[in-house]
Amino acid sequence: MGGRRPPSSIRERGDLYLATLIQQIINGLSLGSVYALIAVGYSLVYSILLFSNFAHGGFLVIGGYICYAALRTLDMGIWMAGAISLFGAGVAAILTERLAYRPIRERTNVTLYLLIASMGMSIVIENIFVIVAGGRFRALPPVIPTSPVNFFGLATTSAFDLLSLVSAVVFLGALQLFLSKTRWGLAIRAAAYDLRTAGLMGVNVNRLISIVFFVAGALAAVGGIFLSVRYTLYPQLGVITIKAFVAAVIGGLGSLPGAVVGSLILGLAEMLTAGFISSQMRDLVVFSLLVVTLLVKPTGLFGKSVSEKV
Amino acid sequence: MSGYAEGIIILLCINAIAAMGVSLLTGFTGIFSLGHAAYMALGAYTAAILTVQHSVHFFPAILLGGAVAVAVAFFIGVPTLKLMGDYYAIASIGLGEAIRLILENWQSVTRGARGYPGIDPYTTFPIALGFFIILAILMFNLINSRFGRACKACRDDYIASSLLGFNTARIRVASLMISAFYCGVAGALLGGFLSFIQPVMFDMLKSTELTAVVVFGGLGSMSGCILGTAVITLVTELFRPISQYRMLIYGAVLVIIMVLRPEGIMGNRELLSWIKDPFRRRAG
Amino acid sequence: MIALVVLVVVAGYYMMQPQPTPQPPKEEPVKEAPSPTPETPKAEEPKAEEPKSEEPKAEAPKAEEPKPEEPKASGDTVKIGYLAALTGDWAAYGQTEEKAARLAVDEINAKGGVLGKKMELVVYDFRTRAEDAVNAVRRMIEEDKVVAIVGANGSGINIATAPIVNRLGVSQIGTVSTNPLVTVDEKGEVRPFSFRICFTDPYQGKLIAFFAAKELKKMKAAILYDVGNDYSQGLREFFMKSYAEYEGEVVADLGFRGGADVDFRAQLTEIRDKGADVLVLPNMGKEMALIMKQARELGMNEIVFVGGDGYGEFMWEIAGDAMEGSYWINHVAPEDPAMQPFFAAYKEKWDDECKEFVNGVLGYDSIHWVADAIARAGQADPKLIRDALEATKELKLHHATITMDPKTHNPVDKDGVVLIAKDGKGQFFTKIKP
Repeated sequence: MGGRRPPSSIRERGDLYLATLIQQIINGLSLGSVYALIAVGYSLVYSILLFSNFAHGGFLVIGGYICYAALRTLDMGIWMAGAISLFGAGVAAILTERLAYRPIRERTNVTLYLLIASMGMSIVIENIFVIVAGGRFRALPPVIPTSPVNFFGLATTSAFDLLSLVSAVVFLGALQLFLSKTRWGLAIRAAAYDLRTAGLMGVNVNRLISIVFFVAGALAAVGGIFLSVRYTLYPQLGVITIKAFVAAVIGGLGSLPGAVVGSLILGLAEMLTAGFISSQMRDLVVFSLLVVTLLVKPTGLFGKSVSEKV
Repeated sequence: MSGYAEGIIILLCINAIAAMGVSLLTGFTGIFSLGHAAYMALGAYTAAILTVQHSVHFFPAILLGGAVAVAVAFFIGVPTLKLMGDYYAIASIGLGEAIRLILENWQSVTRGARGYPGIDPYTTFPIALGFFIILAILMFNLINSRFGRACKACRDDYIASSLLGFNTARIRVASLMISAFYCGVAGALLGGFLSFIQPVMFDMLKSTELTAVVVFGGLGSMSGCILGTAVITLVTELFRPISQYRMLIYGAVLVIIMVLRPEGIMGNRELLSWIKDPFRRRAG
Repeated sequence: MIALVVLVVVAGYYMMQPQPTPQPPKEEPVKEAPSPTPETPKAEEPKAEEPKSEEPKAEAPKAEEPKPEEPKASGDTVKIGYLAALTGDWAAYGQTEEKAARLAVDEINAKGGVLGKKMELVVYDFRTRAEDAVNAVRRMIEEDKVVAIVGANGSGINIATAPIVNRLGVSQIGTVSTNPLVTVDEKGEVRPFSFRICFTDPYQGKLIAFFAAKELKKMKAAILYDVGNDYSQGLREFFMKSYAEYEGEVVADLGFRGGADVDFRAQLTEIRDKGADVLVLPNMGKEMALIMKQARELGMNEIVFVGGDGYGEFMWEIAGDAMEGSYWINHVAPEDPAMQPFFAAYKEKWDDECKEFVNGVLGYDSIHWVADAIARAGQADPKLIRDALEATKELKLHHATITMDPKTHNPVDKDGVVLIAKDGKGQFFTKIKP
């Protein structure tokens, strides 16, 4: 595609903007789909336990490293490696919950303590990998194809982006099925409404929470695999979770469709800012969106409004 | 005293000043903020630019650093402090990061992400200690004054206190401004200690550290937060050579404290009352 | 309360007075006779280590700490500090530098050391963060009492540490830190204790521009640089200046945040649409690799990549085929016959190819340079060593012959090498001098 003349006429300039716009939109959607995988797991935990699990990024990293190990040292195919890493991350999530959150949960209902514990866990997980795996970033073998795909000559994206978009849709669809069609899904939805009442109704709350964490961990692992294939794997990869967190807030904490919509909005906002203003402003826009959302509609787009009665 | 030991104490004083500010806001007024490192950054950069580029003496520069932090806190505090609980905490993350990013992008003034080197090392041992002692005395007086009691009222029961006639909005903003001042001064002192500042030094990790130290020491206990700072600073500095393990230990400490003793070292009692009566139990 | 306010005001007034505070001495003018500082050799804290080659602390990120302070009887080593990024984004470069430096130290010690004493390497990991580098340098000087420091490989890092080393009076040699500000401050005055072994960015920028415009004949350049990196910013500036002189046009000048950004599609889209035919990458390895890969994914198959000395062989792992046909201006060519003994020795000692060969070579030669300076100084005294470094003339190192320009502390007249990325490695393409 090289060697294009720069646009000379107004019409050509307009076409250029349109082409850039479409390209950035595609870029944004693909980024947003990865955010969505992370944000949904995040929101799921929030909806049940009402706290922000900052260690979510850790699950992502765990998923990535397990996948890397499976691919490189154990020489498995991507499907096997992926399955193992999802499982592994889910288990790690359950462990985290058991070790760090349950004891606090059983003792007090101040969510701040859980928050700080989650930050501690995220530091612990990150540094375990720094020590064990070394601070060097690792490139995963190119198991996911990255060849360019052209859209009617208007925009180019890579097969990778399409795959990540498709995977996101598949996993989120599976989650939706799980939530709406299975008994545990029903239990989770009930618990999201009111955890204590669900417990009173006979739901095994501890097991429910473990299941929720497992699912969250697995989703994070999918995101982690995509991120590490695309951007190389390193212990601090989980830092991207803060953006997913913003997405979840914008969409409405506790609402899963909200998390998806919020993620897409965020991905688009980032790419459009980077494309039309400058890349440095990207994160600034992200956080400004967060603040604006909180000021204008704190519960986000789809969140429930909770008002206090005096 | 060796230069190294002096350095640790200076760092301790700096962290303690910032922690006191956060403690006022979090422990005594009940507002959880995860973005206070931004105020430190504002103070640090103001003082750095003033002393390096405009040859201002460090003492007014430090105070001006605090003042800039206060001004910013006022402007962003008034609209956002109407948010309660978790929502403010989230907003504070956004605000903290936004401020840091602005500093990072404002290349012409702050040299952006590359950092600002060559700051005169004005934070000597006596200066740091002096600031700490004076600010600590001021803070202790503050929390025992009428204003302090009003803050505690807001923390304990926001609705009841507003019904009782306290101007809760004004109290919250004032509390934020004072805490911003403390953090700003601490940041300015930090710049004078390291001779070099970078926006990434004031990221969410630092903010979390500030809040964690306060919770660790005990929400509602000023002496607790100073104690907490001492412990955490010593842990992070003494273990600096084994830096990966250091962070691991730090993270583990956070988790362990939350699991085992979430009310912190001192609970919500002050050191003096502990010494006088170690086994007192609160009624009710 | 009032008493307190009065106290504060009085304290403030007192602080405003120009105090005879114990400020560390400002850098003495160069001619200063060497003061018998307590830094001189013998009185060294008894931290002597047997200078046996430490087992290759290859991967383990804990390699940075020199052993704890067991008091031993003799104080017979000359301590050289090494600032290396053993973890973080630059880990590949830093680990190679450390290994190469240890190799050099062993060679020197095998031949009798310096001034009859063994050389000891005190390595600190600055984790690719300037803040840690500043701390490390302080510790090296104040606690470990090193007489000279080698490293880091990044301009931004050395610009940050420059005020410290100059204030505390210990020389620092940058291995691959090419920004002019490393050795010369904003006012144009040389920093007495800052040196470098590599060529500088104005020179490098010119080389890149010359190569792109005159050799490749590409007149429409796009630049994608790291806003958080002094090296990147400086190189970009100098490139743009020279490129304009060669009548090239910069059609896109875009930035990203190194260490934070991993997705460059937004910028690459704009570059593609503006019709650039060459993409200049004045950055460090990992991001360049990602950029090239993502560019090809966006279908940009014809654009040529030209970069500077941030090249590292590890980039192939990430970029793969996207890198083929890219050009890199550099200090050293891996096929240079003068360097083969070094590469062989490195491979034998560490059982590893010296992939980041520039860092390896320059780290290795920096240690030899310091050893030579210490010998010429006659004493392991930081100030004498500084003088000796500054006076270096026609010193035959392994990869080049160095003469220091006392006004800038930069080596005079070094050649630039162009590498082409072909068949999975960087290969020598040509030598240029514009």
